[in-house]
Formats: sequence, structure tokens, C-alpha cells
Amino acid sequence: MKSLDDVLQGVDAALDDSLARLFELLRFPTVATDPAFHGACRDAAAWLRDLLAGMGFDARIEATTGQPVIVAEYAPKGLPSHAPRILFYGHYDVQPPDPLELWESPPFEPQLRKGADGETRIFARGACDDKGQLMTFLEASRAWIKARGSLPFRLTILLEGDEEGDSTHLDRYVAKNRARLKADVAFICDTGMWDAKTPAITTRLRGCIAEEIVVSGPSKDLHSGLYGGPARNPIRVLTKILGDLHDRNGRVSIPGFYDGVDPVPPATRRQWKSLKFPEKKYLKGVGLSIPAGEKGYAVYEQMWSRPTAEINGIYSGYTGAGSKTVLPAQAMAKLTFRLVGRQAPARIRKGLREFVKARLPADCKVSYKSEGGDSMAVTVVEKSPWVRLAQGALKDEWGRSPVLMADGASIPVVGTFKSLLGVDTLLVGFGLEDDSVHSPNEKYNLTSFRKGIRSWTRIIAGLAEQQERAKS
Amino acid sequence: MTRIDSILSAADKGLDRSLDRLFDLVRIPSISTDPAYKADCRKAAERIVADLSALGFSASVRETPGHPMVVAHFDPKDGKAPHFLFYGHYDVQPPDPLDKWTTPPFEPAKRTGKDGIVRLYGRGTADDKGQLLTFVEAMRAWITETGTLPVKATILIEGEEESGSPSLVPFLKANKAELTCDAAFVCDTNMWDEKTPAITTRLRGTVKDEITITGPRVDLHSGAYGGPAANPIRILSKLLSTLHDKNGKVTIPGFYDGVSDVPKEVKAQWAKLKFSDRKFLKEVGLSVPAGEKGKSALEQVWARPTAEVNGIWGGYTGAGTKTVIPSQAHAKITFRLVGKQKPEKIQKAFRAFAKAQVPKDCQIEFSSSGPGSPASEIAETSPLIRKSAAALKEEFRRDTALIGSGGSIPIVRYFKDVLGMDSVLIGFGLNDDALHSPNEKYNLSSFHRGIRSWVRVLGALGR
Repeated sequence: MKSLDDVLQGVDAALDDSLARLFELLRFPTVATDPAFHGACRDAAAWLRDLLAGMGFDARIEATTGQPVIVAEYAPKGLPSHAPRILFYGHYDVQPPDPLELWESPPFEPQLRKGADGETRIFARGACDDKGQLMTFLEASRAWIKARGSLPFRLTILLEGDEEGDSTHLDRYVAKNRARLKADVAFICDTGMWDAKTPAITTRLRGCIAEEIVVSGPSKDLHSGLYGGPARNPIRVLTKILGDLHDRNGRVSIPGFYDGVDPVPPATRRQWKSLKFPEKKYLKGVGLSIPAGEKGYAVYEQMWSRPTAEINGIYSGYTGAGSKTVLPAQAMAKLTFRLVGRQAPARIRKGLREFVKARLPADCKVSYKSEGGDSMAVTVVEKSPWVRLAQGALKDEWGRSPVLMADGASIPVVGTFKSLLGVDTLLVGFGLEDDSVHSPNEKYNLTSFRKGIRSWTRIIAGLAEQQERAKS
Repeated sequence: MTRIDSILSAADKGLDRSLDRLFDLVRIPSISTDPAYKADCRKAAERIVADLSALGFSASVRETPGHPMVVAHFDPKDGKAPHFLFYGHYDVQPPDPLDKWTTPPFEPAKRTGKDGIVRLYGRGTADDKGQLLTFVEAMRAWITETGTLPVKATILIEGEEESGSPSLVPFLKANKAELTCDAAFVCDTNMWDEKTPAITTRLRGTVKDEITITGPRVDLHSGAYGGPAANPIRILSKLLSTLHDKNGKVTIPGFYDGVSDVPKEVKAQWAKLKFSDRKFLKEVGLSVPAGEKGKSALEQVWARPTAEVNGIWGGYTGAGTKTVIPSQAHAKITFRLVGKQKPEKIQKAFRAFAKAQVPKDCQIEFSSSGPGSPASEIAETSPLIRKSAAALKEEFRRDTALIGSGGSIPIVRYFKDVLGMDSVLIGFGLNDDALHSPNEKYNLSSFHRGIRSWVRVLGALGR
């Protein structure tokens, strides 16, 4: 087996250049959910296409019903027919940066800052989610190509711009381009490590559906003095509905909500238990101390194996300074449901609507907006050769065996790859719990970036080694 | 001819001149919120002072940090005559949008509608120049005919009512002795309908509060933290959803302390008004009464306290979705108070009620924009109300409706708090007067019968 040291040294030697490229990407304010930033999304896509073309990829920008995708194919000459075909997925869009005033440095002006703990961190919106993460794979590929001439597998890179918004755009794109995207396995770098020292492979993801509810009462805003009492206040109707959404044990009260939620298999439970999840520390890190989820479940079970109903936003009436004695005509809330097991998005949505209807006075109306696309929960087979290969590579880099863990978040594309392409996904990522993903002051540790690149380099090496073995 | 009849006849004869004076006053664009009209505000004050001086009042323009006040006194030199304050305001709302006016706002016009009703169009014809002149012109008729007034009168005309009355309370405090009377009469309210006179005897008080619930230190990803992390919107929604029971009653312990049932005779009188709950709700697109079960809409608005959420916000509210568990959620709440409900007590009880529902690892903060105000109620049986109601009935040949108003009229509170005076609210406006809107009008009959009503009320008070 050929030594890897030359490639890894190349990674380390080029780290400043890698960082400079990441910073360029971070400077594009790619907030795809806001039309004001669609120009930035197009610019970022063009930048990524050029970057990949410069690495020897056949890279193109392709239109979708949403933001454009970048599809880049790398087909090294002289590869044996059994060489695997790999699909790498990442997303260049980011969450909105609000509230802006809480950022210590502007969200789209990346900064390196060294903390009191000696760790250097990259601060910017997208530093972790997902620009920093996707660049770990791209930079590993670059280092490999530079050191060895070409990659030991066929690779298609698919980078989308609607992950934080409406995932139905990518679903439609994938459905139309099945043949081109077909692969033996998909790699995604959009998940976290177990802790700062322990790598992880994510094998369970929750699904997600989003629903916006608007309750309308009076035909216009009313004076609360002249109408307060007899006139229905939509805020009251809405908060009543939302207040009923959970019972006192934290269970979601929508009838049928738990259909398809299975208990966690005993083996997985044992493994999770052995991880000694630091519940107190986890909550304390965000200023909390009392687990708010379903009673009777550990914090990690609430996140990894239990569905939720969350209110992500609420708005109605007068919200400026001082007071205005108004009875608003409408009240709005944005909800998301995290799904597990076999919970079916369509049934959950139907259950919610019936639940709302049952609490709606006869003279009020309700309207819904379902945005962002639906995704079912995903469970990845833990005993696959890909997982084994990644386990070895990650252990070599970090000096610790990776944890096979679950993630409470959703990566809808994993389900899409499985259902439309029949492809399983390997989820390896280097994010940390304190990365403030979706929050002000999002960051990515420089260690995550550097060792992330090195980890992917080792995974690529593992694939090369497989082929060496196949040849001999 | 009785004395009252001769005074009424003097008022009738003087109507055209009264109208001229109203139109002269309406022609002055005394818009208090716009500094460009500062000189016009002063001009309006000076005109009223000149007019009242000519009538025999000792009247003067009184400086404030903002627009001046008019204060005028008439002393009939009768030691037994009661002393009343009469309040109105000479400032008006801005006239925008100008393109919606049929005739220019400051060129008053008298037009007869297809219904045969004569209306006086112009900004301020109703609010409040037309209304305040009803008592001034009534006093003129009294003085013309008898040489004096049956009461000792102090007139206070303000120039900042439409811009929040910033100078009023300091002015009342500085001139307490001069302005304190037996009671105040305020002419800035409506009749029940065009045939039925009204005295407003009940105004609800208010307590305003704003709550902020803080859960996690920062906004969190709802995928990564959804479940174990407390969501402040959920806590806030739950809290607000428990504010009312299923019968629409407010559940805060002690909330109804000091709320008494409406006296039977008042209820009977309200029932006679034949107010249509259905029509009232239908006009605003509703059909199911939302307040306390078993109470009519009128009773709910005039005589029952409420807890209303006026605004709520938290988390992501833009387009699309953002899977966030916000750090904070906020709501603005107003309580309308009646009877003897105490603002401080209500606020304290609400805050305790809210605090009890917040998990120990979350925080709740309150900020209120002021101390709140208790309800203003004058007993429907008080002699002032009885005398005034009877005088109005003589004029309109209909029982005077003793009504409530769900809103608050700050001047009533200031008179009570600073000068210790009750207020009697008599006005001749109608619901379709388009106050604060284009084509504001005052019916000629409101003006004419308003003057005649005050002639009678003054007579009744002096008796």
C-alpha cells in the first residue's frame, strides 16, 4: 500500500489556499429563500462551476424550477469497469442571517478568530452549513488530483441552491436526470461529529414537513376598545390552536400523529446509551436545563427517534414600539414537524388540518401554505461496505472510532436519492454542536475544515486501495 | 312664552349667524400635528377668544409649550349658581387624502343630500369645531336673551387633542384652582342615532403590558434541537391560550374583583336600544359573538372587562420557511377595565399568572408603556346625568340613551385625576360623520338641535 503522507502533506501545505477559496464562496450572500439574493445565488453557482472546471471537471450550471444546480462530472481515463461511481452532494445556499444585530462580524464577510481556548474559528453564514463542509470534499479531491493525477473513481458532484428553502426543486431535477445521477453511493458532507474529538457517521435522519397557517377573523383590523369582547381575535384563536398542540407530557395531540413511529431497536438503544450523551451540557450550552420534549424519553431519544411539532415563527397585529389597541384581522404561524420511522407527510398534514378545523370558530377562516417540500425520515444500513470504509478512514485521521449516530435534523435529499435513484447515502460531516448553524455567529472550527479535508482524503485513499486490491 | 322657549327662539333666530361663525372657524386650517399650521392654530384660538370676549366672558389665549389653550370665564354673580367646565378642542386632523374630498376641506360647504338632510362639510365641522360651538352658541342665546347665564361657566378649548394632548396635563396642574369646577361637560361624542340623544356614562379603562419570553440563549436549529429545547413561542402560545376559559371569561385569579353587574334598570334601558349584535358583527365580517357567554355585545363592550392580544411575534416570519427555534417570543396585551377594577392589581395578577406558566429555565420579562387607567363611570342615577338626560329628552322627544364606550377618552381621566372632577359626555355626532376621514360632515340638525339641547341643559343645571 502506497503511503498517503504526500497527499496529506499537500493538504496541509495548501490549507491557506483552501481557506481563501472557502472565504470567496462565503462572501456570496446565497439566501435562496429571499428573492433579493437570487443574483448572489447565480454568481455563486458560476463561481463553483469555474472552480470545478479548473479542477478538470466537466462542470455545467443547469436550471431547475428554483435556484440553478451545478453538475460536474469527473471521468478519469483508464479506470477499470468495476471502479465505483460516486455522487457527491452539497448545497451552496444558506439560511437568512437575521437577526443581523447579533452578529459580531458581518455574516457575509468571513473572519478567522482565535478563541481563548486556542481554537481558530471561521465565522460567517454558511461557514459550516454547508459551504465549509462541502469544500472539505472538494479540497480533498483537489489535493488528490494534484498529488496523484486523477481520482480513483468516477465522480459526479451535484451542488444545489434550495436546501434551506424548497427541496421540491431538487426533487424535480433529480427525477428528470436519473440516468446521469445514477451512482453506487452518494456522499454528503452536511452532518456533525460526535464531539470535537470524535468523528461520526450519521445513520438516522428525521423527516420534515413545513406548514404555514393563517387564521383570518374580522374583515379588517378593529379598534380593540370598540370591538374588544364580541369580536373574535385571530391571535386568540391561533394561540389556542398552538396551545393545544402538545399535551402536558409533551406529546403532540394531533390524532394519528404517532402512527408509524416505531420503538428504537434494542441494539441501537444500547449503542446510544453507551455514548453517554451529555444531556445537561447539551442543554446548558444553549442556556437551558429542563428537557422540553416528551416525558419519559432521554434528550437524545427526543432528538433522534421522536417526532416533534415546532412553531418556528408567529406574527400578527402591532409589533412596533409602544402600544396600538388593535384587534388584527389575521394571525400567522409557521410550523414544522420532524418525522421519524414511517410517519407519512401527507397523513400528518391532513391530521393537522383536521385538528385546526376542530378549533376554528365558524366565522373564521384558515389558509395554509406548504413550503419547503416534504421528507420522510431516513435510516441508513449500518453494515454497508461504504460505512466500513469510512469508519476506517475516520479512525485513522482522528485516532478514535467514529460514532454511528442519529441526527434530529432532516436532509431531504437522502430520501430523494433513495427513492428516485435507488442510491444509499454515506453521511460524514465535521460540524460541531456549537457551530450556531441557522443562528447568528455561525462558525466552523479550522480543525473541522482541515481534518475534514484530511478525512475525505483518507476516504478517497481507501477507495483507491480497494481498486489496487481488485487489480491484484 | 316661557323663559326657555324665548331663549330657544333666540337660538333659532341666530342660527344663520351661528353657522357663519362655524364656517369662519372651519376655514382656519388648525392642524395641530403639522408644524406648518402652527400660526393657524393660534389664529383659531384668538378667534374663539375674541368671540367669547365679545359675549362677556373674560377670555384669554394661554400659552403652553405647544399650541395655546383658550380659557374663558363667565360669572353670573350669583353665589348659588353651580360652576361647570365646558371642554372642546379647536385643532383638527390632517385632511389627507385630499383627492377624496368632494369640496375642499377648509372651504366649508352646506349641501342637501338626496335624503333631504342638510349637511355641513369640512374638516372639523364635527370634530370638534361644530360640537364645541353648540355650547358656545347656546350660551350666546342665553346671554342675548337674559343678559347672563344660569351657571358659572369656565370654558377650556384645547389645541392639541388630535396630537396626543402633550400640554394638557401640565396645564391642568398649573391652573388647578382656576379650572376646578363642580363637574365638566365634554362635547366630543355621538348621539345613539340621528333621532336618539345620548350621554356616555361608561368608559373602559386600560392596562397595557408587553411580554418577552426567552428560552434558549440563541436561535436554534429546530432539527438539531427540536424536542429537548424549550420553544418560547410554544410557551407563549400556551400561556395566551389559557387566558380565557371556554366561556370566554378571563382566567386570571382575581380578575373580576371590582366588576359589578350592570343594574337592572340600565340593562333594561340598553335593551330598548334594540342593538343588533348580528349586524354589528356582520359589518366586520364576523357572526359568532366571541366574548363572555351569556352577555350581549353591548354589555361586553360597555360593561365587561377583556384581555386582548394586540400583537404577537417571534422567530422567522418572512417568506418561505426557516427551521428555527427562536430564542425569544413577544406579545402585546391590553386589558380593558370596568367598574372598580384596579390597574395595578390587574397588572400584578396577570404577571403572576404568566410567570407561573414559564418553565424554570426560561425567563419572562414585562414592559408596560404606562401605569394604565381605571374605568370612568358616572352613576346613571347621578343628578347631573338625570338633569341632562331629561333636558335632552325634551329637545328630542325621545329617552336619552345612557351608553358606554368601549374605548377611552383621555380627557375624562385627566379631569378626574388632576382636578377631581367627573365628566358628563354629551355630543351630537353621528356614526357616519367621517371623523378623521375625507368628507367629514356634521348634520345641520346636529348643530341646530345641539345648540337647542345645551340651552335646555344649561337651564336644567341652573334650576
